[in-house]
Amino acid sequence: MAPILSIDRVTKYFAGLTALNEVSFDLQPGGITGLIGPNGAGKTTLLSILAGSIQPTSGTVVFQDRNLTGAKSFARAQAGIVRTHQVPRPFRALSVLENVEVGVRFGRRQGSAGHPRDARRILEWVGITHLADAPSVTLSVGDQKRLELARALATRPSLLLCDEVCSGLTEPETASVLRLLRKIQEAGTTILYVEHNLKAIMSVSHHVIVMNYGQKLAEGSPEAVQSDPAVIAAYIGRTACA
Amino acid sequence: MSAVDLLNLLIAALLQAGVYAAMSVGMTIIYGVMKIVNLAHAGFLMLGAYFVYELYARFHIDPLLGVLLAFPAFFLIGMSVHWVLVRRIPTSDQPTLTSLLLLFGLWLVLQNLGYLIWGNSDRAILTPRTLDVLQIGPISFPTVRLVVFGAALASLGGLEFVLHKTWFGRAVRALMQNSDAGRIVGVNVERTARVAFGVGIAFAGAAGGLLAMIYSFSPDFGGPFLLRSFVIIVLGGLESFAGVAVGSVILAVVETFCILVLPANYQPAIAFSLLVLALIVLPEGVAGLWNKRRRWA
Amino acid sequence: MKGAGKSGASARPRFAFAVAPLLLLGVLAALPAFGLGPNTVRLLFVTLVWVTVSIAWNILGGFGGQVSFGFAVFYGLGAYAAALSVNSGVNSMLSLLLAASVAVLASMLVGLPTFRLRGPYFAIATIGVSEAVRVVMTNVSMTGGASGYRILETRPFHQLEHFYAALALAVVAVAVSMQVRRSKFGLALIAIREDEEAASDLGVNPFRTKLLAHALAAALTGAAGGVYAQYAAFIHPQGVFAFGIGVAILLMPIIGGIGTIWGPVIGGVVYGLIHEELIASFPQLHLLIYGSLLILIVLFEPAGIVGLLDRSFRVFARGWRVSGSHP
Repeated sequence: MAPILSIDRVTKYFAGLTALNEVSFDLQPGGITGLIGPNGAGKTTLLSILAGSIQPTSGTVVFQDRNLTGAKSFARAQAGIVRTHQVPRPFRALSVLENVEVGVRFGRRQGSAGHPRDARRILEWVGITHLADAPSVTLSVGDQKRLELARALATRPSLLLCDEVCSGLTEPETASVLRLLRKIQEAGTTILYVEHNLKAIMSVSHHVIVMNYGQKLAEGSPEAVQSDPAVIAAYIGRTACA
Repeated sequence: MSAVDLLNLLIAALLQAGVYAAMSVGMTIIYGVMKIVNLAHAGFLMLGAYFVYELYARFHIDPLLGVLLAFPAFFLIGMSVHWVLVRRIPTSDQPTLTSLLLLFGLWLVLQNLGYLIWGNSDRAILTPRTLDVLQIGPISFPTVRLVVFGAALASLGGLEFVLHKTWFGRAVRALMQNSDAGRIVGVNVERTARVAFGVGIAFAGAAGGLLAMIYSFSPDFGGPFLLRSFVIIVLGGLESFAGVAVGSVILAVVETFCILVLPANYQPAIAFSLLVLALIVLPEGVAGLWNKRRRWA
Repeated sequence: MKGAGKSGASARPRFAFAVAPLLLLGVLAALPAFGLGPNTVRLLFVTLVWVTVSIAWNILGGFGGQVSFGFAVFYGLGAYAAALSVNSGVNSMLSLLLAASVAVLASMLVGLPTFRLRGPYFAIATIGVSEAVRVVMTNVSMTGGASGYRILETRPFHQLEHFYAALALAVVAVAVSMQVRRSKFGLALIAIREDEEAASDLGVNPFRTKLLAHALAAALTGAAGGVYAQYAAFIHPQGVFAFGIGVAILLMPIIGGIGTIWGPVIGGVVYGLIHEELIASFPQLHLLIYGSLLILIVLFEPAGIVGLLDRSFRVFARGWRVSGSHP
């Protein structure tokens, strides 16, 4: 099966700091891949590069056999890659429904068959129909995160990049969002999911990539990665005793 | 053109750069600490010019002394303006349109104040110094420009001292780099911002006085200099004092040598073109280039 | 800065909002019947021109959030284009189209470099553009330079003709503004205003959208400049390219209610009617008044007059409901 996303030696320098150092991996279509790593590992930077919010210093990003390196974020949204933001960024002057409308009108025209097509259906799917006409600023954190997902979903993405969707949420809210992610994935969207909450990510991912100090550290199934000594050392800070 | 002419032009440009730097430093401080683009800077330049003028015309106080007096006077004015107006607007990491419009409104008010008090005829400060010229070999230095350059350098030196040797200066530098971190470490952000604003306006007023020693002025005097200040701080990199020096030199040199090819009427267009060029080609200014160099080292 | 939302307004004021503009239009269209003097007609003419420009600026600045200090450029270029073409024998309608086209071209030239810049930097760049164009136009001899340019009198002057031209243009401007607000294009502009990066993440092309809005706004502004030039028959750089014009253009929608449909209209009317009065009675104070207004609006009522009205209607509606509940 051809990978949906293929990144090759992606590197990113910020003045004096190497945030990403030759990161490469392939993403198979159809599953949820978790991207984890300690603070400062470069996860969000990588996500931003994949979304087109920032550009890599070097390296290539190939999506569905198209070289998207250097493409702006709206071009990527048109191609089928879209992101959510770690801190929700609703369009404050617009209602919840109008926020989703932006995604509907400006995203891809053709998407997966499993996805709802109009704004109200999307809100139903995500579970915030009752808030359709509310000003987006009045939403609780959990609902704002759902709105982020709804907006992204509205663009009918093939690849959804989720940035810490569960941060700041309570246990039940987290479980609920994770169920939503599964639903989105089952409808046909591949998901790459950056998260700090290890329990959350391990429970929902099919495949996990671990990063540290701007480099890929390990890759594999959740179980394999959890017992990888290098991963343990990275998180705990000492080499595992044999 | 001869080497002597070229040298004369270059020196004229450097002297001009000194004044430009003093003029722009006020805007840099305010931008750096509060991320506010102070459009009223033009108004305070103008008030500074009239301040020094009045001291000279009414009390026969030497303009240089007037400039010195302008520092404390405008420092107080700046702090009051901050307390009355500026502290009421929300700040953020990026300059906001709210702050832009607020200070623009203030500029309009200040301009009108100028018209009300002094009318719209041009004034000038004429002292025996104004027409004096110092000859060193083939190079002629208009004395007043030398004096102004000296004063500008002195004030910049004073600022350097304050920034690096006083607690306030350290607080300012901390806030310029990261206001949240500064807050965590115990810097009183609002008080520092108020003092910084005061210092910024103090420099605007004093610089206005310096400019008044060279140019004639009227209440809308500040406009072209506002644009130049902005060009300079953008060229220099928005938050870097060394950048202000570099930006001032670049602008002064370009302006001075452009007179050779363009009619003088087109001068404001030069500043603008440099501005647009700078904002597009060097979004982080010359300082940005410098930072990038360090990364590869 | 955002405009006031209409949520929460009861049905009663909504109806008034719909009928009032139509009534006003009817009154204005029937103007000759009122037998008003030429000075009053002139006042109304100028106000209509201001209303058009105010609406135009609001498309880019209010809906799109891109504050430009440089709209005098389009106004002035439109004025000169119309004047030059009329003198070359072009009929007045065509010359207005020409004025709009020149303005659109200028908006591309200005927008291409400056829209790469975010908010406040864009605003300041437009100050520079405005000044640069004024300086150049003051020195170009073909258009008369600083002494101005005169349209040759080939036909008798009919004031009402110009009045109706201004009225028609203002109506077009309102219609365009309403259409933009309801359209996909308008949604893109608002998204860009609220959060340009997030909008881009969802597929909105900010650069292209801004350029388009700029062009639309410039076209209306240029046409307004053309209408003015045809009326005044004499234009000069200090008049049409003055920084004060750029300031006025931006002040009107802010005073009236930035980002709304009727805010710019209200602002244009207020400015148009009051400006003449101010200049006549307090010539020394107009900058002070506008500056103070700007400060007060920014600090206390960013939604301008529309915001104030909105608030008072809510208080009024509350009072109405409360008093209605008493036996």
